[in-house]
Amino acid sequence: MSGALAIVNGDQITAITAEIFAAMVDGKPGLLVPWSVGDDVLMNDPLHAWVDMHAGISNRVQLTTDAETAHELTRMLLAMTPGEEVGEEDLNDAYGEIANVVGGNLKALLPVQGQLMMPQVSREAPSDEGAVQFDEVTLAWRGHPIIVSVWMIR
Amino acid sequence: MRALVIDDSRTMRRIIARIFANLGYETMEAGNGREALDLLEAGEVFDVATIDWNMPDMDGLAFVTAVRARHDWRGLTLMMVTTEAEHGQIVRALAAGAHEYMIKPFTPDAIGDKLALLGLIPLEVTA
Repeated sequence: MSGALAIVNGDQITAITAEIFAAMVDGKPGLLVPWSVGDDVLMNDPLHAWVDMHAGISNRVQLTTDAETAHELTRMLLAMTPGEEVGEEDLNDAYGEIANVVGGNLKALLPVQGQLMMPQVSREAPSDEGAVQFDEVTLAWRGHPIIVSVWMIR
Repeated sequence: MRALVIDDSRTMRRIIARIFANLGYETMEAGNGREALDLLEAGEVFDVATIDWNMPDMDGLAFVTAVRARHDWRGLTLMMVTTEAEHGQIVRALAAGAHEYMIKPFTPDAIGDKLALLGLIPLEVTA
């Protein structure tokens, strides 16, 4: 399959995402792990964060989790108190920044330099028309599912 | 000591500012290079600036270049803190005049270590 990020595999996606969560979110490793095979992935009210990158061919790195988990991630990043209300602006900024850092680190694996676009956050998944998914990993953060997918887009 | 945190992500600004505050710094924040230059033009003085690369209006590389063009701002230590991790990007930033380059994600200890290397840890923290 052609496409710059086609060279990235699921193990690399998992390792990079786990490192980012350990450094930015949790302050320690081990709280983001591969989802247990066989466990159903139940996601209510999914929220998507993605970043596009252009390196000859355009690619997208997308995170999907349920809205409550995205709220909890935001509380962790912003050192808010448990259960504290999260504003829409903080949610979009914090969740989008995680996608941005994951995308930037995956981009660094490419053999050519590319340009990273601004991250986006939406309850609507980005259009997959003309998009080809290279890989997808399902991870568990403190028991909650987070899906990281990598796409070629046109 | 004073730090200027430049990043278009409010989340990232808060994370970095919190790290600097724990190291005894007073911090100010800017959402892009233009806002940061406005603070310097207004006479604000900082010991160190952390600079994201991709920002609207004025990106980090343009900010570094603008600061290095001004003799009176030579005392400002410039530390890129960015997701841009390619070797070529790092070389470009250092050639433009950045003193240090950190790739996100980072830990508080990593920032502290960089500041220590630069001799920019406040004495009350090292004592």
